[in-house]
Amino acid sequence: MKQKLISSVQIILLLALTAVGLTGEYSPNSCYFDKNHTNPWTTYIIVMTMNEIIGSNSSDPQYVDVTSMVQPDSPVILSLETKTSASIMSLWAKWSPPPLPDSVAQFFIIFPVHFLFQTIPVEVQTQYKVIRLHAGVKYVVQVCCMLDLGEWSEWNSERCIQILICEWIISPPEKPTIIKCRSPEKETFTCWWKPGSDGGHPTNYTLLYSKEGEQEVYECPDYRTAGPNSCYFNKKYTSFWIIYNITVRATNEMGSNISDPHYVDVTYIVQPDPPVNITLELKKPINRKPYLVLTWSPPPLADVRSGWLTLEYELRLKPEGEEWEAIFIGQQTQYKMFSLNPGKKYVVQIHCKPDHHGSWSEWSSEKYIQIPNDFRLKDMIVWIIMGVLSSLTCLIMSCTMVLKGYRMIAFILPPVPGPKIKGIDTHLLETGKSEELLSALGCHGFLPTSDYEELLIEYLKVEDSEDQQLMPSHDNSHPSKNAKMTPKETDSDSGRGSCDSPSLLSEKCRESRPLPSTLQTQDVRDVQANKGGKSSWETQCIASEQKTLLFNSESKKSSTWPAAQLPNNQLPMFAYHSTVDAYKITWSTTNVNIAPVLVGNEEKHQSQYSITETPPMCIIQGIK
Amino acid sequence: MLPIAVLVYPLPVSLTRAALTPLPPPAGAAAALALLWLLICAPGDAGCRLLTVADLFDRVIRHSGRIHSLATALYEKHFPPRDNELGKSARKCHTSGMLTPNGKEYAQKIPREELTHLILKLLQAWKEPLSHFNQHIEHYQELPDDSLSKAKQISNMVHELKTGVEKVTEKMQSMGIISNSLNGMASSEATGLSISNEANMMSDSDFIHCFRRDSNKVQSYLKILKCRIMPENSC
Repeated sequence: MKQKLISSVQIILLLALTAVGLTGEYSPNSCYFDKNHTNPWTTYIIVMTMNEIIGSNSSDPQYVDVTSMVQPDSPVILSLETKTSASIMSLWAKWSPPPLPDSVAQFFIIFPVHFLFQTIPVEVQTQYKVIRLHAGVKYVVQVCCMLDLGEWSEWNSERCIQILICEWIISPPEKPTIIKCRSPEKETFTCWWKPGSDGGHPTNYTLLYSKEGEQEVYECPDYRTAGPNSCYFNKKYTSFWIIYNITVRATNEMGSNISDPHYVDVTYIVQPDPPVNITLELKKPINRKPYLVLTWSPPPLADVRSGWLTLEYELRLKPEGEEWEAIFIGQQTQYKMFSLNPGKKYVVQIHCKPDHHGSWSEWSSEKYIQIPNDFRLKDMIVWIIMGVLSSLTCLIMSCTMVLKGYRMIAFILPPVPGPKIKGIDTHLLETGKSEELLSALGCHGFLPTSDYEELLIEYLKVEDSEDQQLMPSHDNSHPSKNAKMTPKETDSDSGRGSCDSPSLLSEKCRESRPLPSTLQTQDVRDVQANKGGKSSWETQCIASEQKTLLFNSESKKSSTWPAAQLPNNQLPMFAYHSTVDAYKITWSTTNVNIAPVLVGNEEKHQSQYSITETPPMCIIQGIK
Repeated sequence: MLPIAVLVYPLPVSLTRAALTPLPPPAGAAAALALLWLLICAPGDAGCRLLTVADLFDRVIRHSGRIHSLATALYEKHFPPRDNELGKSARKCHTSGMLTPNGKEYAQKIPREELTHLILKLLQAWKEPLSHFNQHIEHYQELPDDSLSKAKQISNMVHELKTGVEKVTEKMQSMGIISNSLNGMASSEATGLSISNEANMMSDSDFIHCFRRDSNKVQSYLKILKCRIMPENSC
């Protein structure tokens, strides 16, 4: 920029002694260039030449840049004031700019705070507010202005003026408040106050009081004894039954402030110290429960002996870890406490107050006492014996339970009896002891057992050719038997004594009892040899059939009676479940049906039969 | 009861209570009546005992305590002072003119007779104002019934207390604990009358405030007097 300007214009200024400024202003040894001759965009080169008769002399050329020369006048400070709003202090500075038409000026304020200079640049304006002033701090305010010609980045000139020196920012103190007044022994008293904010400046506090009925105002006699911000009135200055009017005044350089008055009658502000010398003693009289005796003394300052101050006491105690229980005691200084829980640790505290109006003192320090466990030897022995007995009992019970548990259970909870038919035992049926079963039914030797099929077959065979078959078989057997049996066979159609009737059956069964063993062996041989008659067959009761039938059904063999050979439908009767039913049906049907059936099977089952039992036999007549 | 008193009096030897000092010569019927007040049973009974001065003092002290409690209750509940009134120096009790000890030392220093006299003077001073107050509060609408009854009780109680203190005084005088100065008693009556007129001018709140203070004074003086005379009895 400057280069450009320098090259553009050159003006030579010739200065004569009598040269006068073009605008008419005159000052010696100066030259004034008015607006028309001033161009801020140019650099002027100024040369002074002195012409005299003898010769001339010229100075060195001076390069002048107008903009860099600009030095405005300082602004004129108009006012500086502090304002407080919402407990924040602020400083308002107002000034007027120097006469600089058509120029852009910038102002800034310099604020020396203590020893720190703080410059705050300010835009084009003529007033400024500084906030956050600190009370008690010295501020100096200066306003300076500079020209800023936009493009020119450098400050050309600077001019400041000191506006203010030593303006203290302080305020009068806040109102103090009186907290409380207390007398510990009804002879002296103390008042405490709380100061307000002190405005930064050291503040003096004075306590003033006047007595009821008097005009005179006195000052506190003693500020020290009771600590800071307190006033202690000793005996000389304490009077009772009159009301004191007490106020506190706070003063600093800026002013003072006085608290609200506090009226106090010393009689009613007594708050004693806690009682002292608290002793706890556990007394253990013989044959009685132990009890606690508490004793204490009034606080040392309180004059109880003269009757001036009468104290009432209150006690509180609790077992450790539980809630406090307060007991009012009155004026005595000892207390007996009964019914305490043994084994517990108790905590005790006492406090006192004057008997008429006043305040309770602080609680005394805690005192502890441990109540010993109260067990007598007698009780312990009883408990021990009981414990031993009960444990023995438990042991015995558990042993018996273990060893005879089931029986015990059965004893305690007997099983429910199932239904039972009189005379029949289901177990006998299950095990196949049909003999016993039948004997239980009153029928002895009724049914044959294992070799029933063979016997039946033999029997049937005998039926077909009664006499012939019977005879050869009887040859081997006892003739006596045959003789017995023969006559019975002759009548096949008549109502012979069949085995329908149990009585007849039983007779016959008894008769035929001795037969079994020998007959059976013979039967086997006979069966194998030929299909000849067997004399013994006729003696065989149908009961043997029954037995075989039963045997079949009970033993659950596949039916040895081929179903195809059954001419009729009577076979299914073999599958009867109940013995009784089987009896009935076979009794009714065997007369007719069995014979053909039985015949067909003999060939097949010859070798299968084993004689295990000797079935009793009786003659069945009328069977085909 | 009178025959008993007459019977007992001429035989001071039969009074075996150690606390009683030998009785001085009788002062006539008044003394007999005073003794009468001290006997609470016929002397043949097993539980018979004379009231000692200590017992009497305890009774009057307890009584004065009750009066003070009543006055405090009334003061706090129904006639509480407004704050700006507290500092009014214009508030004056009609008994303010009486010179009473305002601290322990003074109360202990003044002679017993004077202290006793002072107590009686105070009680006398309140006799009439209380009766006026009784009539006045009949029309007091704001007081609930129990407070009204309490307020009415006060004048009775003060009268009883005065009687009791008089009895104690006589007992003490008869026992020689304090000297007989009856002239003081007479003057108290006079002063009492003159100052009671001022009491009628007070507001209710001031009245109760003054009364409460004076009842406290009476109680404290009685206590101090008791412990001065009988320091060993629970002092």
